[in-house]
Amino acid sequence: MILARVDGVMVSTVCHPSLRGCRTVICQPLNEHGAAEGTPVLALDAHGAGQHQRVLVSTDGAAARAQVGDPKSPLRNTIIAILDASS
Amino acid sequence: MLLARVIGTVVSTQKDEALQGRKLLLLRPLLVDEAGQLRPGPSTIVAVDSLGAGQGETVLFCQGSSARQAAGMATVPVDAVVTGIVDNVDVNHRTIYPEPKAAK
Amino acid sequence: MRLGHVIGKVTLSRQDPSYSGGRFLLVRPWAAQNQTAGPTLVVYDNLGAGLGHLIGFTEGSEASKPFAEATPVDAYNAAIADEIFHQPPQ
Repeated sequence: MILARVDGVMVSTVCHPSLRGCRTVICQPLNEHGAAEGTPVLALDAHGAGQHQRVLVSTDGAAARAQVGDPKSPLRNTIIAILDASS
Repeated sequence: MLLARVIGTVVSTQKDEALQGRKLLLLRPLLVDEAGQLRPGPSTIVAVDSLGAGQGETVLFCQGSSARQAAGMATVPVDAVVTGIVDNVDVNHRTIYPEPKAAK
Repeated sequence: MRLGHVIGKVTLSRQDPSYSGGRFLLVRPWAAQNQTAGPTLVVYDNLGAGLGHLIGFTEGSEASKPFAEATPVDAYNAAIADEIFHQPPQ
């Protein structure tokens, strides 16, 4: 799991069937000081994370496939928690 | 997957049984630089060859657990397999491999 | 999954039998301003992405999941982006 900040969204019409209708956000990984670390990754967002909110991203593909209900999904990253603003 | 040049072979007599009869290639990954040219990467990788790639050829190889999805590799303990021999590489509609012949 | 720009394509003269029907794109990973993008890579495509498209691609074992038969793919084009909205905090 990685700590990240939602910095944007991706809109896609032509995509793998398992991604249709899903919200895909651009997540910037963060270090322990809350500063950007590395390049952004895409993640499935089922929790409605807002712009610049801090989130927990799971990189477990099995969990992602279960979430979209498609064992053949290429998805890997999913947002599993939105962090409280104070933390 | 990455592009790579075959820079040598590795020979071993004592090896895992599943590797018997398999050719091991020494690969130098190739990356495309800002100018759109192929440049050698920083690492050297050993991969199993299933297609008969030769010294100096440019190949496509697959890494990680996906490598064992290649034909005949399901039970072979490898994490890098040559899965294609490259015919042509185009960047921005310009052929960068095979290298275009210099104009006279 | 990461974002990347399609900068070219690769054609093969000999290939794993499972590759029939797919295309191979040369992709330069996308990075935000003031960041260095990772090295270029080759991504399997069956959505029909072309030169200049921005795509979302999956890497690792998940990349071989969409296939009915075992296919050695470690980078898979999962989405062609129509547009992205990206604005890091000031």
